[in-house]
Amino acid sequence: MHELPQNLVNGLLLGATYGLIAVGYTIVYGIVQLINFAHGEIFMTGAFGALSVYLGLGSGTSMWITIPLMILGAIVTSTVIAVLTERLAYRPLRNAPRLAPLITAIGVSITLQQLVWGFYPSAKSPRVFPSLPGGPYHIGSILIQSSDIFVLVAAVLSTLFLAYFVRSTRTGRAMQATAQDPDTAKLMGINTDRVIVIAFALGAAFAGIAGVAWGLRYGEIKFDMGFLTGLYAFTAAVLGGIGNIYGAMLGGLVLGLVQNLTAIYIADIPGMSQFSSQSWSSVWAFVILILVLMVRPQGLLGERVADRA
Amino acid sequence: MTDTLQLQSEAAARPKPAIPLPTSVARAATAAGAVITAASAFLSWTYSSQFPGDLTVSGYPGGLQWITFAGGLLTLLYTLVGYRVPVLRLLAPGGPEGTTVLLAVGSAVTTWFTLIAISVELGGLANLTGGGWVAGVGSLVAVVGALALPRDGEQTQDAKLRVLLYAGKRPELPPTQPESPWVEVPVVLVTLAVALGIFSYGIDTAYAELFGGFLILTGFTAWALNRSGDFTRLAALMQRNRTTAAVGAFVAAGLFPFTQQGGNAEANANLGVSILIFAATALGLNIVVGLAGLLDLGYVAFLGVGAYTAALVSGAAGAAFHVQFPFWAAALLGAAVSGVFGVLLGAPTLRVRGDYLAIVTLGFGEIFRIVVQNLDGTSGPNVTNGAIGISNVPDLNIFGFDFGSPHSLGWFTIGRFANYFELMLLFTAIIVLVFARSTNSRIGRAWIAIREDETAATAMGINGFRFKLLAFALGATLAGLAGTVFVHVNYSVVPDTFQFAGPTPPNSAFLLAAVVIGGMGTVTGPLVGASLFFLLQAKLSFLHDYQLLLFGLTLILFMRFRPEGIIPNRRRQLEFHEAETAEA
Repeated sequence: MHELPQNLVNGLLLGATYGLIAVGYTIVYGIVQLINFAHGEIFMTGAFGALSVYLGLGSGTSMWITIPLMILGAIVTSTVIAVLTERLAYRPLRNAPRLAPLITAIGVSITLQQLVWGFYPSAKSPRVFPSLPGGPYHIGSILIQSSDIFVLVAAVLSTLFLAYFVRSTRTGRAMQATAQDPDTAKLMGINTDRVIVIAFALGAAFAGIAGVAWGLRYGEIKFDMGFLTGLYAFTAAVLGGIGNIYGAMLGGLVLGLVQNLTAIYIADIPGMSQFSSQSWSSVWAFVILILVLMVRPQGLLGERVADRA
Repeated sequence: MTDTLQLQSEAAARPKPAIPLPTSVARAATAAGAVITAASAFLSWTYSSQFPGDLTVSGYPGGLQWITFAGGLLTLLYTLVGYRVPVLRLLAPGGPEGTTVLLAVGSAVTTWFTLIAISVELGGLANLTGGGWVAGVGSLVAVVGALALPRDGEQTQDAKLRVLLYAGKRPELPPTQPESPWVEVPVVLVTLAVALGIFSYGIDTAYAELFGGFLILTGFTAWALNRSGDFTRLAALMQRNRTTAAVGAFVAAGLFPFTQQGGNAEANANLGVSILIFAATALGLNIVVGLAGLLDLGYVAFLGVGAYTAALVSGAAGAAFHVQFPFWAAALLGAAVSGVFGVLLGAPTLRVRGDYLAIVTLGFGEIFRIVVQNLDGTSGPNVTNGAIGISNVPDLNIFGFDFGSPHSLGWFTIGRFANYFELMLLFTAIIVLVFARSTNSRIGRAWIAIREDETAATAMGINGFRFKLLAFALGATLAGLAGTVFVHVNYSVVPDTFQFAGPTPPNSAFLLAAVVIGGMGTVTGPLVGASLFFLLQAKLSFLHDYQLLLFGLTLILFMRFRPEGIIPNRRRQLEFHEAETAEA
């Protein structure tokens, strides 16, 4: 029989990564109602930023210095790129019909992907990412790599930080206000442009951390890794209820579990043995999305929002 | 005191030319420059015949020299309009000056593009002969002269707009009385013939440099004719003679294979039929995106559904079902299956407000590819032969007409791809008809109402969900229909064709770009956009590595500066520029 605890842990770890990326989708969507298609690419550039830092430091440096610097590099890269795209591509279209920024987002996504593909040294094929030393650790029957611990710690810390930030800081409350009603927020003296930039930056920082986590876990990064991962992360955001930060995390965890468990347990359903391999897992993730939209379109934690004209 | 004030205000109203020269000198310089430019095409431009098109011959133009020649003549023509030659006045209802500037700049750019290409490819300016320099200097003289011409149009203080205004917006012209049909119909036909000629020439350009020059001059000329008001007049004319224009356009398109009879005939016909498939699919997408305002990011999957369905019932050796349907049945089946997928996908997602549809369709596009790849016998049941795809799809044979072999019609030979071109043209006509009829019907108006404001539309009694589903399913059906021809033209179908973004069309991103950049909600927009995109990627193959990058940047820039596309829908244009018009 398959090892259920191990699969649960693997699913949760995958889900935590999705959740980190999904936060970016959900914050931005909550405030400007824009699906930022380029967010998956922001995640990817974060991973490449971290790799650049690693390559720049050389191999002699201690892991305790390298890893924080890599995280910093990832956060800086993805944040700078996200803020730049917001400034140059999205802001001029703030009041345009909603199709325009969506199409711009697709353009940004393709552009970023191609920039990395074309101009990052030998990024046309997957680049090897450093791995964490130590491990694997056994906890009962569960096998855990040191990169898994990183993902776990990063996800928990990030969520706690975000919760604190949104609830207890002035900027966080300004974000909530802007999400609820941008016009009134503006009347109350909130600089909504700044709030929007912060939303983009915050989401990008999380995506950068996710990029490092991804690289450490899978050992290699690719220019197009942001596309499908971004799609899953968005699915996670919708699953949890778009606009809801905890929902994004929860959605990520659920999606990670579904992907991991379907890959194994579908085979046990009579007649479905052929549909269980890893290559079908994305199909099941997608089926879940459709089902959620049918049954609970507002997502797991979302509230039914009145249509904003 | 009052006099000076008046003078000042007059000076403000009448914009100054960019270069201060007496008008007569300016006109003469423009004309002379244009003549020199055109004449230089008859000289030799370079010593070496290494440069494609062989520009070493004196006595007649060759290759890129033809482009320069055409540019010079066009500039001359509009300079003569400025001289108030009686009949020619008709050519520029909106004033000839801005047009002349654009044409002069256009021919200078193509000429210098050629000269630079020669220098770069052959290594240094030393490769240019006197003729090349004459062309370069002549075209610059024309530009200087044109910039010194008195300017038509209004002045603006906005520095950003000033550059654009130099070329100018399309002038607002008073409506004209219709001429007699004996005048109007020939004008329509001549326009279509010219369009066919330009298109055939563009497809037949044998090397990237020639295509580049062709594209530059065509672009500038189109801009210039828009500025001169010719396009406004032509559009009104076409609108009055809608039926003639539509039928004529299809006849002209049908004549396209007859213009391609040389050594490249099959390759060009292949390009032609690929463009048609791409354009027809884009037109189907235009119903979904342009009319109903639903963003479909996995549209190519519906093309794939149609293609796979047709391949499975085509009797191909690799297909899982060993049946061979007649083509009409296969086409209907492909369209129907695709439509069913559209309903299955649309029913759950279209109930939800917001942008979920975009992401669901994006997911569907990816999932379709993955599923088709997995149905290979190992990862799943064998239906589609996995990544290898279904190959050896047999050629069509309709009523004894074999599409696989060339046929002779009088002096003309119609090859395999040309046969399919004519078939696809018929399908395109069907799609255009569906598009046009539904736009002007109750359904089309409902779609537009939903696109503009769904709440208001619902309040008016429109069932939003039902109409959105109809648009989505109809779009899917039409793509499926196009897919059934697609698979026969290409002999085979593989999953990797149906990506979200890839270097070659058709893929969902290119389709969307063809619609958006061509012009949402119009018939001609996606057709123009699709042709442009397809030709660009096919002809400029040296840019292969950067094509997608340029593509992404194009999308961003278009959304920023011209969100209504090349050929705007009037309503859309107003919508996109709401803020500007409101301020003014």
